[in-house]
Order: sequence, then structure tokens, then C-alpha cells
Amino acid sequence: MLTNIISISLGAILVNNFIFSQFLGCCPFLGCSSKVETATGMGLAVVFVMGLASAICWVIDTYILIPLGLAFLETLAFILVIASLVQFVEMFLKKSIPSLYSALGIYLPLITTNCAVLGVVLLNVQNHYNFIESVVYGITGGFGFMLAIVLFASVRERVQFSDYPECFDGFPICLISAGLLALAFMGFSGMKIF
Amino acid sequence: MNIKKQFKEGLITNNPVLVQLIGMCATMAITTTLFNGVGMGLSVLIILTCCNVVVSAIRKIIPNEIRLAIFVVIIAGFVTIVDLLLKAYIPALSEALGVFIPLIVVNCIIIGRAEAFCQKNTIGASFFDGIFQGLGYTVVLIIMCVFRELVGSGKFGGGLIDIANGFRFTMDGTGGGIQLFPADYGATIMIMPFGGFITLGLLIALMQYMLKKSAKKKEAAEKAAVKEGEE
Amino acid sequence: MKKILKLTLILFLVSAIVAGVLGVVNEVTKDRIAEQNRIKTEKAFAAVLPASGYEELALDTSAYTNIDSISKATGGEGYVVQTTFSGAQGNITMVVGVSPDYKCTGISIISHAETSGLGANAASTSDIGVNWRAQFVGQDKNMAITKAGGTIDALTGATITSRSVAEAAANAISVVESLG
Repeated sequence: MLTNIISISLGAILVNNFIFSQFLGCCPFLGCSSKVETATGMGLAVVFVMGLASAICWVIDTYILIPLGLAFLETLAFILVIASLVQFVEMFLKKSIPSLYSALGIYLPLITTNCAVLGVVLLNVQNHYNFIESVVYGITGGFGFMLAIVLFASVRERVQFSDYPECFDGFPICLISAGLLALAFMGFSGMKIF
Repeated sequence: MNIKKQFKEGLITNNPVLVQLIGMCATMAITTTLFNGVGMGLSVLIILTCCNVVVSAIRKIIPNEIRLAIFVVIIAGFVTIVDLLLKAYIPALSEALGVFIPLIVVNCIIIGRAEAFCQKNTIGASFFDGIFQGLGYTVVLIIMCVFRELVGSGKFGGGLIDIANGFRFTMDGTGGGIQLFPADYGATIMIMPFGGFITLGLLIALMQYMLKKSAKKKEAAEKAAVKEGEE
Repeated sequence: MKKILKLTLILFLVSAIVAGVLGVVNEVTKDRIAEQNRIKTEKAFAAVLPASGYEELALDTSAYTNIDSISKATGGEGYVVQTTFSGAQGNITMVVGVSPDYKCTGISIISHAETSGLGANAASTSDIGVNWRAQFVGQDKNMAITKAGGTIDALTGATITSRSVAEAAANAISVVESLG
């Protein structure tokens, strides 16, 4: 059990990193990475929502959808759960933990359309993870996303002072740097713990 | 809004991937063989067109406050239908694209078009918008697939074209493709995630270069016209 | 308050209609999807170990690493093991045929998430995939890829996938052998 959880975590953070090997969550990855600070905020918000969404969706899938034979409604149910979860978390944080809200608040609405969140929930179902494995996969997947986005933001902060052809301005140069980071992450592929 | 202008917008000047810069996850993830690219592109095209028509049809009766929630439900509905149909009739494609089919729900192209275009336009215009934006997306996917597959494994049309028993198109993903040079000479790195990032980066850079060039040309032409007028 | 109720009702109505439509589509495609999955498993079983019928053994598979199920061929032709393990990108599910003298009679990959054009060749129906999988026939529980001192050539650019598949097949055979 423990080795299983360690191998899931290691896989989610390094080997099958959500951004660099599965391409899940690329839009916020490219959109919210101009500064290390914002990247950290976005990363934390994603860890939080991915963990919660994994737990709630697992319960809904196992105790409502599958017993009722409604597995085909998974995509619809999950996206609704994620959207309302994000709204709820936003309201809750605003009222009870204002300090955390001011840190994460602006990133929360963006998370609904982050495909890493819906992706992790669907992968939990596909891989037949149990409750603990799902939550661990959600949280560590979020940390993988955070690692990627923070690393990338620090690269971008330096890239903006470099010289490159004019037509590479904006997204293209970001994609090229992201490609080089992905190359570095390839070094982890195939690593596993038995 | 005429069709010709919409066609040009969807494919070039307002191309979803290259200019609007949305829907990039799947663009980089699945463009490893032509089979995947064509399958994904057509799936998005169909879903986008259906959603556009429905959203535009009900645009006057849905309350403004919950329009996004309703859009998401409609999109999720069409995505699930396509997912089920693919599983039943083209299982090879459903397997190759895996989780990226249900993830079309959060592909910003569809909700973006619903919000930016269909809310304000007639059913007819929305229908063509869906087709042309979908085509623009498909074309980008195909360009990326062809480039990555060729450089990565020396092949063209993997999964889709079968030349073992005469030239034919297959929909079960078994076609070997046309081997243009031995796979051993291919830069396999182009098929890995790295290749996805680099190819899309180069493609957007090329697009920006061309758009800037044509803008400059236009400017120069306008200046010349103004000068002529002065003289 | 009345407004909120109205909005909730509309949203509920839309969701209900969509769910209803999906229900119909599901009803139409359900049998075909089940049929496709059955054909797939059957084909995989028949490809690794041709037999008249298969009977799943009642086992506590959680006692063995990576083993999903073990089926015995009813005519005594051997065993078919279904195993799920991690490849280079994600989980791979594979069936391994094992003869009564504990040799591999073939492997067939049911599902995987390996890189298209590289690791995915292990599962493909193209010549590369077929020839590669043919190397496994006749191997025993000590099989390994050439890099690990065995005789199985790894797929071009997919050493990790090849290694995992070989290790999983070896594991499947040793589990069957341990059952006796």
C-alpha cells in the first residue's frame, strides 16, 4: 500500500508530470507564469482544488453514478462538480480565511477550465484508483503542476531580458523554453519504485 | 457577416490555435500521428458546430446569470455523445485519444466561441463559425502531425493510410503509413512532449511573422495611397 | 429569492434534458461498446493462447504484484494471465499466455498510454509490433531485454517500455509457476 502511494506520488510529480509529459493544464501554465509569485499562487490553488475534486468525484462516481448504472454521465457530473466546487471554495475562503483568499482568490475562477483538474478526475476513474490513491494522485498531481509552473516562471523572468527574433515574441519563445524544460523532465521517464 | 470573411477568420486571421492561442493542451499532446490529428480535429469540429447551433438557438431564452453553466452542460452533453459513438464505432480512435476526448469539455475553443460569437449571432452564422473555426483547428493539428511524424519517424499518414494492401484509408488505426525514410534516421525526440512544444512554438512564430509582414505591406500600401492622394 | 429559484429550476431543466439525451445515446451504443470490449479481450486471449474456452481461477490476486486475473484454458492448453503494470508513460494492461511447461506462448497489449510511434509500437498491429511481440514466444520466467542480459531486442527509442513489458511477462510466468 505504502509503496503504491509512493510510486503514484513520484509518478505524478516527476515521471508523468501533468504539464511536461501529459500536457494537461497547459493554458494556465502558459498564461499565469510571467512571475514566480503568481505562479506559486496558481500552483497552490490547483493543488487545493485537485485534491478536493479527486475526493468528491471519487465518492460521487463510486456511490452514485456506478451503482445507478449512470457511468456515461461521468464527464457531465465531474465538470459540474468542479465548477460548483470552485465557486464554493471561493465563497468559503472569502468569508472564513480572508488571508488565503487574497492570495489565491483571483486564480480560483480560472481553475474551472484547467484541464488538469478534469483530467486528474477522469484518470482516477480510468486507472481504477481507490479513495486514498485518488486523493494522493490529485494532490501530488497538483504539486507536479506547481513544480512545473514555478520552474517555468523563473525561466520566463530571465527569458524576457534575452535577445530573440521579433516574431518569437510572446507565446512562441515561452513554448520553446517549455520544450527545453520538458526535455529535462524526460530524464525521469521510466523511473519507478517497487 | 459573410461566409467568405468567416472562412478567412477561422483558418487564418483569427485561427483558434495560432492567433487566439486557445486549446493548446490537446494540440500538443495528440499530434503524433495523422490518424490522431484528423480524428481529434473532426471530433472538435462536430462538437463545436453542434454547440454553436444549439447555443445560438437558445441565446434569447437563457438567463444571463447562468449562461456559462448552461453552456458547460450543453458542451459536456455533446462531448459525451461523441465519446460514446467513438467507443462504439471507432474504438481504435477512442483508445488513441484516450482522456483527451472527454477533455474537449474544457477546451477553451468551444466555450470561447459560445461566449464570444454565438451569443450575439444568428443560427446560420454560428453554424458556419463552428465549421470554419473547427476547420482552422483541424488544419493546425494536421500540420503539426505531418511535421512531427515525418521528422520523428520518417512516416506520413500513420494509422490512417495503409499501403500494405494497395493504397487505402483505414479508420481502425492499423495503417502503417508511408515510410519516406527509415525510422532509425528519425529524430524520435519530435514525437516526445519536447517536440510538441517546439513545433507549436515554431508554428506560432511563423504565423506572427507572416501576419506582421502582411500588416507592414498594408501599411506601406496605405501610405503610398495617401501620398498619391496628396500629389 | 424567487429569482434564484427560477435560475436553479432552469439549470436543472437543461441538465435533465441533456442527461435524458445522453441516456438515449447510451442505450443505443451500450451493447455495441460491450461487444467491442468483449471482442477485444477475446481476440487478445485467442492471440496469446488458442484454446476452446477459458475459465478464470478464483484467486486473491492482491497477493501478487500487478496481476489482475489468471484464467485456465479448459482443454489444458495452459494459462492466460492479465497483468497491469507501469510503462514509460502510464499503466499498461497486457495478457500473457503461459504453456503448461511455463513458457510464454505470446503476449498481447490491451490498453496503454505509451508514446505514439515509439512505445506504442509494442501494441501496434503493424509489422514492427507483430515482429517484436513474436520474440516473446518460447521465453521463460528469466526473460529480459538485451540490455538487461536477455535475448529480447528492445523497440527503437522505447527501451523503457520494452523493459517493463518483458519484466511483466516474466513476472506473470513466475506467478503461474508458483501456483504449480
